[in-house]
Amino acid sequence: MSSNRSLEPSSLSLNDLPWQVRYSNDRCTLCGQCTAVCPVKAIELGVFRKRIIKTSISKNAEQTNRYDIFYAIQQRTAVENACIGCAMCTLVCPNDAIHPVKNPGLDRMKFHINQQGVPRRRGGRRNASTSVLDRIKFTRISMLTDPALDAGRHEFEMRTLLGRVLSPRENMKRLREKGWIPPVREIYPLIIGGMSFGALSPSMWEGLQMGVAYLNEEMGMPVRMCTGEGGCPPRLLRSRFLKYVILQIASGYFGWDEIIHAIPHMKEDPCAIEIKYGQGAKPGDGGLLMWHKVNTLIAAIRGVPQGVSLPSPPTHQTQYSIEESVAKMILSMSMAWGFRVPVYPKISASSTSLAVLNNLTRNDYASGLAIDGEDGGTGAAYSVSMDHMGHPIASCIRDNYLNLIKIGKQNEIPLFAGGGIGKNGNIAANAAALIMLGASGVQIGKYVMQAAAGCVGTEEDRCNVCNVGICPKGITSQDPRLYRRLDPEDVAQRIVDLFVSFDTELKKIVAPLGRSTSLPIGMSDALGIDDHAAAQRLSIKYVV
Amino acid sequence: MMNNNFIYIPGKREEKRIPSRVLEEIIHQQIKGGHRNLEIEAFGQHGIGGRLWDAGTDAVHIRIIGHSGQRTGSLGHANTAIEVMGPASDDLGWLNAGAHIVVHGNASNGVMNGAAQGRVFVGGSIGARGMTMTKRNPRFEPPELWVLGSAGDYFGEFMAGGIAVVCGHECEPGNQVLGYRPLVGMVGGKVFVRSNAEKFCEKDAKQVPISDEDWHWLETRLATFLEKIHKQDILNILTVRSEWLLLTAKSPHEKADSPNKLTMAWFRKQVWDQELGSGGLIGDLQETQPGTIPVIAKGDLRRRIPVWEQGRYMSPCQAACPTGIPVQDRWYMVRADNVDEAVAMGLAHTPFPATVCGYLCPSPCMASCTRHKEGMLPINVRGLGQAGENVAPPEPAPKTKKKMAVIGAGPGGLSAAWHLTLKGHTVTVFDTGSRIGGKISSVIPGSRFPQKTLDVELSRIKTLVTDIRLNQDITAAKFAQIKETYDFTIVAAGAKKPRTLPVRGMETAWCANDFLAAAKEGKVKPGKQVVIIGAGNVGCDVATEAHRLGARDITLIDVQKPAAFGKEREDAEKCGARFRWPVFTREITRDGVMLRNEEALPADTVVLAIGDVPDLAFLGEHLAVENGFVAVDRFNRTSDPRVFAIGDMVGPGLITDAIGAGKRAARTIHQIVSGKSTEGIEPLPVMDKNRINLAYYDPGKIAGDLTECGADCASCGNCRDCGICVAICPEAAIQRADLGDGGFEYQVDPDKCIGCGFCKGACPCGIWDMVPNTPL
Repeated sequence: MSSNRSLEPSSLSLNDLPWQVRYSNDRCTLCGQCTAVCPVKAIELGVFRKRIIKTSISKNAEQTNRYDIFYAIQQRTAVENACIGCAMCTLVCPNDAIHPVKNPGLDRMKFHINQQGVPRRRGGRRNASTSVLDRIKFTRISMLTDPALDAGRHEFEMRTLLGRVLSPRENMKRLREKGWIPPVREIYPLIIGGMSFGALSPSMWEGLQMGVAYLNEEMGMPVRMCTGEGGCPPRLLRSRFLKYVILQIASGYFGWDEIIHAIPHMKEDPCAIEIKYGQGAKPGDGGLLMWHKVNTLIAAIRGVPQGVSLPSPPTHQTQYSIEESVAKMILSMSMAWGFRVPVYPKISASSTSLAVLNNLTRNDYASGLAIDGEDGGTGAAYSVSMDHMGHPIASCIRDNYLNLIKIGKQNEIPLFAGGGIGKNGNIAANAAALIMLGASGVQIGKYVMQAAAGCVGTEEDRCNVCNVGICPKGITSQDPRLYRRLDPEDVAQRIVDLFVSFDTELKKIVAPLGRSTSLPIGMSDALGIDDHAAAQRLSIKYVV
Repeated sequence: MMNNNFIYIPGKREEKRIPSRVLEEIIHQQIKGGHRNLEIEAFGQHGIGGRLWDAGTDAVHIRIIGHSGQRTGSLGHANTAIEVMGPASDDLGWLNAGAHIVVHGNASNGVMNGAAQGRVFVGGSIGARGMTMTKRNPRFEPPELWVLGSAGDYFGEFMAGGIAVVCGHECEPGNQVLGYRPLVGMVGGKVFVRSNAEKFCEKDAKQVPISDEDWHWLETRLATFLEKIHKQDILNILTVRSEWLLLTAKSPHEKADSPNKLTMAWFRKQVWDQELGSGGLIGDLQETQPGTIPVIAKGDLRRRIPVWEQGRYMSPCQAACPTGIPVQDRWYMVRADNVDEAVAMGLAHTPFPATVCGYLCPSPCMASCTRHKEGMLPINVRGLGQAGENVAPPEPAPKTKKKMAVIGAGPGGLSAAWHLTLKGHTVTVFDTGSRIGGKISSVIPGSRFPQKTLDVELSRIKTLVTDIRLNQDITAAKFAQIKETYDFTIVAAGAKKPRTLPVRGMETAWCANDFLAAAKEGKVKPGKQVVIIGAGNVGCDVATEAHRLGARDITLIDVQKPAAFGKEREDAEKCGARFRWPVFTREITRDGVMLRNEEALPADTVVLAIGDVPDLAFLGEHLAVENGFVAVDRFNRTSDPRVFAIGDMVGPGLITDAIGAGKRAARTIHQIVSGKSTEGIEPLPVMDKNRINLAYYDPGKIAGDLTECGADCASCGNCRDCGICVAICPEAAIQRADLGDGGFEYQVDPDKCIGCGFCKGACPCGIWDMVPNTPL
């Protein structure tokens, strides 16, 4: 800052910024790589004046006072140029001369990131690193009592059912009467949740789909991936890979005309249709693809003008009640594929989710319910929605499952849980905990970006610029200069690594329960937690 | 009872099965009693034949008839030979440490589980999990398992040593000899298997060729095996070398090197792209390129690119100058040793470089100097202005046939006349007064500038603008006539009508302009006490002049905070003038000024300095007027397209405002008569001061002479041609191109540039900017 510059309310010093760039002038070779790579222009070359004073107390000595110039990397303090901590500078620095560090508590930028009256919007997820799921332990380890299984040696079939499973009596009745039997898919319980083509870069999206195809076709793992709300590239719709895809429809209906055009040409039915009513990251708020990311390709696939921001309304516009929403949407979507494809809603976890569930139990065509908890990620949302709105997934999924038990339908309507699974890296443990609390499967999104593409976002508010298309890893950008940093093939390979290792870990957890061919859905007697209140709330054991 | 050499031990007493513990006691008693051959008729007792170390190194033969129980021969000792005449139950030879066991029938699950030595020969088939977790201790021979038939599922799990031979004799064709998922987790040992055994765990085991040595061993031992199970007759059937496979464990390196799956690259090419078409997922929608790009990219792949923005911005000093003098260009000329040109350039913009720029102007250029940003003194332009005093007028352009009239020979009118003349037009200046120079000549105190300077500049104007008609009576009729006679008319008659106050005694006060004009000619004696109503700069001039003429108690009063500033105010304060506000005049009396609060301010002279308004009477009715001033647009055009108005006629302002307006009006008229659009004279945007690097300048230094001023001018938006960008560029991507005639340009090689922005960061003058690259 210039010495003579006047102060403005939002004049911040380096001390006020959330991330501070530590820099060693001694090590720096001034190669320019850090400033070239920085996504937010947080650093620049600075010219500095250095005063050199040489004095002596000898009477006749010459007293000198002169100025030298030196060059160094300096951090900018304008709100729009605040360092986001992505550490791309560190990644490219040949001399290890630069790295951002998190401000341990003097971050004042929170108070200023609302310039022009626009509250902060960002990507990522709730900036809170704690997780109830991480605290759940698997306390039932059968060594002698149950058939103790060996995760490395025994064969497992880690599969779950997506679809309405009729009661045996009803099923037999319909079989006898040649009635309609709801479609059910046997799929892998770890599902890649809805991340749209648009929110994700083409490289990322293709990599995910390719990895999923590989898992299905080369590894025999029936992994499924949801498209998110942004349509689906026409080629995929007309390929056999469509059966690995859950198509999402949401309130913006983006890309659905392409899907409708493709239906007569589909080689395979999609795995399922997910109707998105809510998202855990931003409950009560709609989708948002900011204009930075709507390039020619995205515009074409979504059927919208280029370079405009695309909000999806928080609600489907022509639906005014649960009954109506569920009835209309599920029926329309079921009809589109001749009632051969499971259709289920996805809602954000909420204290009202039981109402949705109860409604679904009365709807013959409802194939399940996906619930997304407060720790879910998003490509773009208001920070206030992300940080302060929503319901934790654990108790929500538990309430829903216990309610299904109460009405005797726990085996009929599968629940899928999402939101913060693996947010601290404990993906299999978190997934298994949710399954034992009652989920038939889990959806992951942010974890996929982190594991499969090196997303650097954290709950310490690192990076989180997915919304503005400057993702330094090329995961959520539509700029070829960024997304071509990412090779779909590498992403696909990492997806395979992720699922295969997850599979091993999940087996390590379920083997001591003696489960190898059916998931321990709702097997909550295996769970414990070291918090009495949480144990009571979740109806699991309190262990200390 | 099969052989009389054997002690017979029944497994039942009185039709009741003997417990395993009791049978074990009996066997040990017999051994301790010296017996070495025992025949046991078993009824499922556990672990028969194991643990017979009581016999020391003596060979012990155990023959089992009946139903051998689980773990026959378990923890078997090397002295022990067991022959099971029928089938064997689970875990035969479990943890075997050396016993030789022959089973003539089948054996069920878990044969040799955990064994480390000994041999087991099975004349039939075995159940699941045979040869699992077997070891080899290098101090002993490896454990061996021989099976005539086939093995059940999960054979050889976690096998770490030992040799298994599974002959597959009389197996159903198509059935796996080693059952389902054999050799999972195998880390050592070897397995000979005859015929069908392809589906072993390839993650852990591999098939290797059978060496001659291996074959010799197998052939020899097969004979022994068959002898033990009394099947010597099938030796020929089993010794067809081509029917045998040898399976061994993969080393950790082999497991790592050969991932048991297809590469993603293969999958992408052969499966993905095959199904979707060339280019994969979106190959039909856009051109896709394979592979990744580097994080630090060049050429088209840079996200931001540098641009050399020379000449695209106006410097803050030039932008602040109402006359529009490109101050930083002049300092550039000074740096290039063209001092004369730099000085002379002033005349291209103003006819009063010395009088106004050098003395009278409050210098908005200096006030806006970028150097203030770091608390450094601005570059002083006064010297440059004053040096303009002795410069000859520029050569006018060739004469056009256009005739222009300027009404008013004040600074604005003379500026307009000056610029129109330089453009080659014929100009006539009309003025009601007897001399030219307007307020500079008649009103502004002589203390503010040297009279000589003004005289020199006025005569220089006269050499260029020759047709100046003084003492004209400009009436409405005259104006109408002038307007008809000339192509364009610029009115610059100033504001000479003083504003007055609606208070009693008003007529007894001096108007400031009259006072100043009279004072300048020495025709007024203000007395000791002077009250000046209106504390602006004109009021200050009055105060200074009054002081010069003997006043000692001078008060300036105002209804609001005094607007006076700069040199005028300083001079007034030096004369001891006091400023009082807010005060309101009720009446002007013979004794002075009576305020509304009944306070009397005694005064010998009262001067009213609350501004002047133009006298618009001569314009007639047809020009649009706003708030008492002539209404003009940004080019100083009035509502009459052939009449322009400038200076105080359009609003109060500085002398430099009037000079600038004269220049602007002249240029606009020239554009119009040349048939060009007025759009061409739009000003450039102003350079953002934050782009200027002041670190290069010594903050303590005060530039003195012109050379030092030139050196320390930050040259905002005007390339100094220093070459720092060339030096700082880490990729050597910037080059200076000589365009001839002193022209130059700094150019970027896109194939070298990485878009780091160092050029921008280091540039002293803010010439370089980084802009987003063209979208791909």
